[in-house]
Amino acid sequence: MALATKPPALRRAKAGKKGDVPRKIGASAVMWLLAAVYGIPGLWFVLSSFKPAGDLFSYPLTLLPKNWTVSGYTQAWTHFDFARYFLNTLIVASVTTALTIVASAAAGYAMAKYNNWWLKAFAACILATVMLPGETILAPMFVVVRDLGLYNSLSGIVVPSVITATGTFMFRQFFVTVPNDLLEAARIDGSSELRTFLRIMVPLARPIILTLAIFSFQWRWNDYLWPLIILNDPKQFTLQIGVASIVGAENVNWSVLLGASVLSMLPLIAIYLVFQKYVMSADINAGLKD
Amino acid sequence: MAISPTVRTGRWRWLSAGLAAVLTLSACGSGSDDKGGDSTAKNITFWFSTSAQDQGYQDLAKEFQAKEGISVEIVNVPYDGYQDKLKAAAQANALPDTASAPGLDTLWINKLQDLSSIANNATNNINKDVTIAQEGKVLAIPSDVTAAGLYLNKSLFDKAKVTIPTDPAKAWTWDEFLAAADKVRTATKAKYDLVYDRSAARIRPWIYTHGGKGFQLGDDGKFAAPDPATVQALTDFAKLNNDVTMPKSVWAAGADPNALFKSGQVVAYYSGVWQVADFAESITNFEWVSAPTPAQPVHATDINLGGLVVAFNNDKKADAAKKWVDFLFQRDNYTKLASANGYLPVEKGLTLNYPFKKKEALDAFALYVKEMELADPISASGAANNTKLLLAGKTVDDGLVKDEMGKLVNGQQDAQKTVDNIVKGLNQQIG
Amino acid sequence: MVDSAQAAPRSDIAGGEPAPTKSRRRPRSRHNRYTATPLLLISVNLVLFLLFFLWPAAIGLGYSFTSYTGVGDAPWVGLDNYERLMNDSAFYAALLRTLIFTASVVPLTFVASLGTAYLLVSQYAKGKTVARVIFFLPWLISPIIAGVIWRWLFGENFGLVNFIIIELGGKPLPWQSNANLSLIIVIIAATWANTAANMLLFVAALKNVPTSYYEAAELDGANAWQKFRRITLPAIAPTSFIVLLLSTLGNMKEYGLVIAVNEGGPGTVNNLIVQYIFQTGFKRTQIGYASAASFVLLVILVAIAVLQLLASRRKES
Repeated sequence: MALATKPPALRRAKAGKKGDVPRKIGASAVMWLLAAVYGIPGLWFVLSSFKPAGDLFSYPLTLLPKNWTVSGYTQAWTHFDFARYFLNTLIVASVTTALTIVASAAAGYAMAKYNNWWLKAFAACILATVMLPGETILAPMFVVVRDLGLYNSLSGIVVPSVITATGTFMFRQFFVTVPNDLLEAARIDGSSELRTFLRIMVPLARPIILTLAIFSFQWRWNDYLWPLIILNDPKQFTLQIGVASIVGAENVNWSVLLGASVLSMLPLIAIYLVFQKYVMSADINAGLKD
Repeated sequence: MAISPTVRTGRWRWLSAGLAAVLTLSACGSGSDDKGGDSTAKNITFWFSTSAQDQGYQDLAKEFQAKEGISVEIVNVPYDGYQDKLKAAAQANALPDTASAPGLDTLWINKLQDLSSIANNATNNINKDVTIAQEGKVLAIPSDVTAAGLYLNKSLFDKAKVTIPTDPAKAWTWDEFLAAADKVRTATKAKYDLVYDRSAARIRPWIYTHGGKGFQLGDDGKFAAPDPATVQALTDFAKLNNDVTMPKSVWAAGADPNALFKSGQVVAYYSGVWQVADFAESITNFEWVSAPTPAQPVHATDINLGGLVVAFNNDKKADAAKKWVDFLFQRDNYTKLASANGYLPVEKGLTLNYPFKKKEALDAFALYVKEMELADPISASGAANNTKLLLAGKTVDDGLVKDEMGKLVNGQQDAQKTVDNIVKGLNQQIG
Repeated sequence: MVDSAQAAPRSDIAGGEPAPTKSRRRPRSRHNRYTATPLLLISVNLVLFLLFFLWPAAIGLGYSFTSYTGVGDAPWVGLDNYERLMNDSAFYAALLRTLIFTASVVPLTFVASLGTAYLLVSQYAKGKTVARVIFFLPWLISPIIAGVIWRWLFGENFGLVNFIIIELGGKPLPWQSNANLSLIIVIIAATWANTAANMLLFVAALKNVPTSYYEAAELDGANAWQKFRRITLPAIAPTSFIVLLLSTLGNMKEYGLVIAVNEGGPGTVNNLIVQYIFQTGFKRTQIGYASAASFVLLVILVAIAVLQLLASRRKES
């Protein structure tokens, strides 16, 4: 671990070498093959949302719509108060994500950089939270939430969702790879533990923060059963509750459901694109001068 | 170990911002329910579930407000999880004032008001067989009834030049129907004769129309062993699932019969009245009709209850709640409701003008009304059994029937074992 | 790198911390030094864990020793539920099926997500932005829609794949009626849906590997595969471990997607363990029995987690 990393300009120049063209073709081909395999089912889904209801199940099967229509979308928009539910979901997802990141980063860092025995026990406890199926603790958790007075409020959705084993361990695994020398150096410099954490470690973990933000957003966006049970006031309903109202007891209005599903996914894709750009372009190595 | 002051404020700032957000959210939520100050309630809530655009209840709510000055907040709760939501609301003491519930729950059944005055009102002429009563107290009145029935792909029948009977009084037998379907299938090169909804409720009319009694509760409150006709009917059913007449994948593996029928490659589909509105909108590639359910020899269907309208005893809101339910079932209002929402009525002798534009839909409804009149009384026994069990504080899960029938169709066991397992399993559930 | 010569003891450091010399190798008699900070750091998660996991889990555990039906009182039955569970062949069948399912999905997802992450991070693949969205979309799709999509693709009667097979002159396969084919479909669907999440974790981990390592290796003449094996894999080992662990635990608990694709069919052959818990327990209001089954599942998952931990420790040494 001797030299400092080369300046960015030098690194980029290397990519323009000769033997790269076959590499580019090879890598791109594999990636596009995979993208095709992953994309075809999704493509059918998106294209079907533009088909009129009568063509969705027609035989022989068609990938492309014969008659393009947005009636599924317009019906979905008017089927329930889309804009309001969207806003509610946005609030819940944002607040939860912010709190989740704070809690997970702190706990993950503690588990990675400190040696107390009870931290290891706590790590095991956090891991245990993914070992019970959600349905099992749904009813008892409802009792708890009710007793805490969080029923029929958006906080009843936010607060229980802040703790996440995935998020905590994401940060733990990341902070494990951060050399302890950095921490030691900060201590020598007189920085307190918390200050080191906040000023040095957290900024390093920005890609993890953004990745967890994407996860957390998706989890909260797609929460269905819990918000349904907790919320009574339709003005506070979330998007998934609205989408589920398209599914009837005995039959489903597929074209509306497809339209609604695509619409509800768009914000997630937008967030993903924005955050991923930062993750991809993050030059993490800059902080770790080895 | 001291925390540097700047860090502390920075961190606390984050935490307090988060806390503030959380507290604001909780204030937003629970605040709206504490309107305990009203001496006479000016607004009540009504929960129900529909996947269609609701017009019926909305219109009635407007008229109700004009008449009584009480506003009704109508909340459309998605069907999946609705029952759980009511359970949770009961546990949190936050039940709605009125609701159209998918089923009664022992958890809150004692919080229901008595609707006898509405049910026994002669002008309403509500069918007493479908109201749910316990010891003289009427707990719930269904908003509608549903019936199972047969749909045919008319385009295929026309192409094969096979006629379809239209009068349920002169219904065909299953053998005649299957022969006709065979003819249509071979003539038009369709894939299957029939697809059949996969549910415990839908298999009942198959059993009934073949003369069987199905799964009935005995006097001891337990399910009795079914008669041989039932076993024979199920054996026949399994035989038909041979991937020529009927696709195995529906009852054995949960394939969607609705999608299969909509593909236009299946001659017939046995489902129920709820498909009419959906078909009217979403089948555009071929013509469909409702046809009389075959009888062999019994003419039967499965009559089930739609949403159960209840009024909860929520202190100050109880009177207003009762008034709303009363308003709903007044003859003129109910006529408007049933027409607008496409309900089969629970009140007798109404003239309904359904808003369907397609003639098939209007004909279908007329057929269902006629079929229900002609149906053997056993048709309502399935729903009646469920009600009886519910009032005794027990629930049964129909998944058992689906699972055992799946094994039957899959060839894992014969019909006798199937019915024995079903009876055993059901009795185990009711304890 | 900070010169360690500067690490002279200073007595005026805030908080009275002694000189941070080679503290890691000393016996941990100074454990109380770093108690307040880690405690504060985990405080939020700790409180939430106690309130929203431990408390409900304790209630659930309590139920497992009763014959609670969701209403009324909960009569104590001791270990009855557990005994019944141990004697239920359907439980073991579901458990076996779930193990097969998990053992198939986890490696597939691991390879797929690492592969796609590697491609997305590599400088050689073109068109990454669009590919990024394409890989991500499956994870966003709700189980009910995913079920429709895969049924449409592999529907036994009118599915696309069978349609193509027929057009090519072959015999259509019973994707839904054959238990193993049906399981394969679910495995493919689960891999398809879960790749993106793990892919994102790997992307972050891959970006974290210092480029200086690769440059040093290139100077030594290593090719791409060698670089991958010798540098990348070890460097992302912590993330690989957590991906494998969480993926295993998550797939053992799979429920929504299986129901949407084949409802646990044909028959009940492909009922996975959570569906079993749901059907025999919650649907039939046998809350006590369902809770007992859930805790048995917890024990199994703990065992799996411990095994994976031991395996990874062994690999490290």
